[in-house]
Amino acid sequence: MSARYGMVIDLDRCTGCGSCMVACAAENNVPALPQATARTGITPMLVRKASNGKEGNLRREAFIPILCMHCEHETPCVHVCPQQAVELDAATGIVMQMPQRCLGCRYCMTACPYHARYFNWWDPAWSAGMEKSLNPGVATRMRGVVEKCNFCHVRFHAAKEKAAAAGRREIDPADYIPACVEACPTGAIRFGNLSDPNDPVTQDARSANAFRLLARIGTEPKVYYKSNEEWVRRLAESGGQSDSPTHTTRIPAQQAEELHV
Amino acid sequence: MKVSRRDLLAWSAGAAAALVATPVPWKLLDDTSIWSQNWKWIPQPSRGPMEVKHSACTLCPSGCGLRVRTAGGYLVGVAGLASHPVTGGALCPLAFAAHQLNWHPERLRTVRHRGVESSWDDARAAFVKACGEGPVIVIDGYPGRAASVVMEAFGNKRGEYRAFQGTEWKVLAPYTRWSGVPASDLGYDLENARTIVSFGAPLLDGWGIPGRFTRLWAKRSAGQNEPELRLIQIEDSLSRTATRAWRWIAVRPGTESALASGIARVLLEEKLVSTQAPLPDATVSEVALRTGLDISTIRELARMIVAQQPAMAISNNNAPSIAALNVVLGAVGERGGIVRRSRAAKSYQDAEAPISSARAVVLDASVPWSFIPKTDAEVFRFAAWNGGPTKADWLLPAPGFLEELSDVPTAPTASVETYAVAPAITQAPHTTRSCAAFLASADPSLTSAEKVIHKRCADLYRARVGALHSHQQVPVARLETDSQLEEQLWNGSVWVGEPASGESILCALKKWPADDADSPVDSHQSWSVPVMPALATKLYQESGLRESQGRIA
Amino acid sequence: MSSMALADSRWIARGEERVSLPRFLAWLAPWIVLLAIGVYAAGLCLFYGLNQTNMDNRFAFGLWIFLDLGIIALGAGAFFTGFLVYILKRAELRPILNTAVVVGFICYSGAVAILMIDVGQPLRAWFTFWHPNTHSMLTEVTFCISCYLTVLGLEYVPILLRNRQLRKLPSFLVFERQLHKLVPVLAAVGTLLSFFHQGSLGGLYGVLRGRPFAFREGIFIWPSTFFLFILSAIATGPSFLMLVVAIVERVTGRNLVAQDVFRRLGRISGVLLGVYVAAKSIDTLIWLNFTSPSEGFAPWQYYIYKPFGTPVLFTEIVLFGLVPAFLLTFPRTAEHRGWRLSAAALACCGVLMNRFVMTVQTLALPTLSFDEFLSYTPKQCAYRNLQSPDRDFASSQPCRA
Repeated sequence: MSARYGMVIDLDRCTGCGSCMVACAAENNVPALPQATARTGITPMLVRKASNGKEGNLRREAFIPILCMHCEHETPCVHVCPQQAVELDAATGIVMQMPQRCLGCRYCMTACPYHARYFNWWDPAWSAGMEKSLNPGVATRMRGVVEKCNFCHVRFHAAKEKAAAAGRREIDPADYIPACVEACPTGAIRFGNLSDPNDPVTQDARSANAFRLLARIGTEPKVYYKSNEEWVRRLAESGGQSDSPTHTTRIPAQQAEELHV
Repeated sequence: MKVSRRDLLAWSAGAAAALVATPVPWKLLDDTSIWSQNWKWIPQPSRGPMEVKHSACTLCPSGCGLRVRTAGGYLVGVAGLASHPVTGGALCPLAFAAHQLNWHPERLRTVRHRGVESSWDDARAAFVKACGEGPVIVIDGYPGRAASVVMEAFGNKRGEYRAFQGTEWKVLAPYTRWSGVPASDLGYDLENARTIVSFGAPLLDGWGIPGRFTRLWAKRSAGQNEPELRLIQIEDSLSRTATRAWRWIAVRPGTESALASGIARVLLEEKLVSTQAPLPDATVSEVALRTGLDISTIRELARMIVAQQPAMAISNNNAPSIAALNVVLGAVGERGGIVRRSRAAKSYQDAEAPISSARAVVLDASVPWSFIPKTDAEVFRFAAWNGGPTKADWLLPAPGFLEELSDVPTAPTASVETYAVAPAITQAPHTTRSCAAFLASADPSLTSAEKVIHKRCADLYRARVGALHSHQQVPVARLETDSQLEEQLWNGSVWVGEPASGESILCALKKWPADDADSPVDSHQSWSVPVMPALATKLYQESGLRESQGRIA
Repeated sequence: MSSMALADSRWIARGEERVSLPRFLAWLAPWIVLLAIGVYAAGLCLFYGLNQTNMDNRFAFGLWIFLDLGIIALGAGAFFTGFLVYILKRAELRPILNTAVVVGFICYSGAVAILMIDVGQPLRAWFTFWHPNTHSMLTEVTFCISCYLTVLGLEYVPILLRNRQLRKLPSFLVFERQLHKLVPVLAAVGTLLSFFHQGSLGGLYGVLRGRPFAFREGIFIWPSTFFLFILSAIATGPSFLMLVVAIVERVTGRNLVAQDVFRRLGRISGVLLGVYVAAKSIDTLIWLNFTSPSEGFAPWQYYIYKPFGTPVLFTEIVLFGLVPAFLLTFPRTAEHRGWRLSAAALACCGVLMNRFVMTVQTLALPTLSFDEFLSYTPKQCAYRNLQSPDRDFASSQPCRA
């Protein structure tokens, strides 16, 4: 019985604290390199900020955790990797990156619409002795390879081993909780098996307020977001309000009509 | 046979072409790629037996419950402890990289005397000499711990013991003035409040016990149009809390206390509350002018606050008008408001009071790095991490995160008493020593932190009050021996006292308190870790989520 | 010096004079400097890693990939000329055939060398052959370009074997004769391989669902960019050849190829360019009105950022496409050498611009609604290090604990 692991992230609950980012980086042995910048650093979980485009006391902001969406349909990165260093695992639905096979061509990074893939521009390094605090389950990578979120697949393996030791074939869902899900203080990030109709996460994903980013591109991401706020839901598709100083996206009303699903 | 140059050329060309058909080039190719997967200079994680331990965080007085993973004796991972009765597994963001703190590039490992490397023997000798020559002031940044008892004993004998009371103590000080109840006996009953008006307090961003309110808010407020708990944030800019709050009221900077007076005035004038209290001096229109809000907005806000009771005001600011607003709201000493959680408060000499005479000043590692005592005395500064330039004659390396036995008294802002023990889970570097241990080495008659903890456990057992929380709740009354209680605490259980009795606190407010005009919100954290984990600093910088400085490598 | 002249004279083609050594070195100097800079930059990247460039996670493909694609497009003259001469039997283009092979060989070997430096783990490059991904355009490109480079190498060997000294070796002479028989086969294979890899290079971008700026529908598994890249490559390949030969003629001061050959190349280029412009315009209209909106991206979104406004589109298609197509086919300008060469230059600019737009603009444009438009300035390692050697160099040293 294969699973399709996915997430629902409640943006009304995300306070932008960054716990998920820190927990993810610690779990995955991500190095803190002083020379890395916002555009060259590795952040398998990255909390972005978006606003409703208004100013003054009408302004509202939302925090959007971005991670690999584990796309299911014509997964862009899986399709384009020249040496199959990433695959969509049939048993779990996880899009698994294998840094040991990666050649570092970065084609997958151009293919990902969510910018959820990160390149090791440098070799990883830690301050003297800090390697003793690395997570033993997760292999460190080397420079020149791409990495990304893989739904803490190492924890899935541990859950499988635990089940096997107890003579079971199926894992206990409580044993497999990714680091970001565990860390979120408001429970905004929830993880579950989208193949299981009784899983509360599956039911949440089907609710009216749930949406996926750039769903119209058609990659069938398995990370859903939800919000009661309409302006937040409109961020799903390109052309939603944004007040980035480098551009404005004031959509002419007529085109706005056309774009919204 | 004569081999000519041509033959050689032809042979070479043939050999080169034929080499491709041999395994040699392919094997070499394979070997080189395997080499690229096994570079020796890439650090690898530790190996060794793995364990999971339950403990409490000692980086700040919130003492959140932790689940710590170790491998070969080293800390390799931190997560929240879901069975913790107050935090329920929620932590602050820094906790998840706290296990890396002991290796932070700013970790102190050697004794330094005025910038020059020295030794513990020299430090001890200098200290013993100082003790013989005059009074010694011991300053503690985190009072109430077992180590604090040791330091207090020393200070009382040899000079003075002073403690940092913390921002919360300052914020609660007006209630002490008006009712006589010590600030350290007071807490916030967030769990039973139905409306919380926050005057600039970062409730969802690290205020109080970081995980406590966020969990509460997530359950009772987040995303609901008609929330069970209404969070109203009064702040001049769109902070994280403001953007998630049920309502955000934008006021001019520094006018929060004026608004509190305005709201109180409306509540009293329009008889929206039954409390009797003196009227604030400022009129609603004056307040409107100061804050930049409309008069109607202020009136509406006042009505909004009392629409769903109990209502409570919280601030990070020590402006007394906000405390007075709580009196008007009837939130002092009531369910869902400011409650009395204990009768055990001790008062200490304030650490920031001027020093009249001292031969030496000892600063425990818990004292905020930015605190520099104004004195010419010899300063013995304990710290696990170097927070930057400071004025200290002796810089003494202290144990770091979970490297020494400690205990966790009731956290500020909690509405119930709690107690936990945080044993040493990983070994401290042999060049470190805690302040309490150092003082004990100068005065062997002093007790030790471990003995104090033992006594505290025995006292808790004898009192037969409260329960131990771990996977289950076990009332203390049902335990058979005190060693059972102590063992449970050492294994990560948390003792929780009885909830606040709900006795009302009488606040005698004769006149509406005056505020300084436009006093800015004092959000200065008086207790903080000198350094952030390097990983957290880096992530905040790269994501732009917060301002973050600090050394990374 | 005379003894050197004697030693060398056996290797030099008959009728040629040797220049003096200082003059020779003077001519070589700029190329040696360039080569040294290139080797130094390559060494930096191979030793320290790709942090030596100015690429980042959002601009995963930068200057070198764009140049890679551009060089391969311009080097298309090699296979196309071979196709015309051996398959379509257009013997009048034979004089330029060797040049085309040399240009092609330089372009493709250069592209492959650059690629080996531009990937993070060059030692694992062969994994593509061992674990090929049949869905990936890049696998296709890798296979075809490797095979084609081999073909080019084989086509290049006869040029080397023309050497007077080497011809004296009987085995080499025999080998050369056999190779000659193979050449039409090599030309056909080369054409097939080139057709596919030029197309797949276009396919690289056309299949990117996640980048609606680049994504195109097409025929079966091939997006329209597959065919557009082939068309633009064969249209501009001859133009590039023309330019190269003209430059060499100008520098050496002699006429190497008859004007008639230039005229024919120009005409071929012009006609194909015209076809390309027509196809590209239709494709652009379909993309703007159907493909992109169906992915949720309105066309105006792509062109609101400076400097990538609609003038860029106009420049690429009209100024660098329609104009040279016209100049190369309209008799009055096509006959005139100056106009022909200018048009050839414009056409080459056009193909470079197209590759640039597909590589860099695609990555600059935001996809998520809360993304920003990004900018990227390529960093040439050597240049940067000359500017501020200590500071920048130190910050890009690998951190080895």
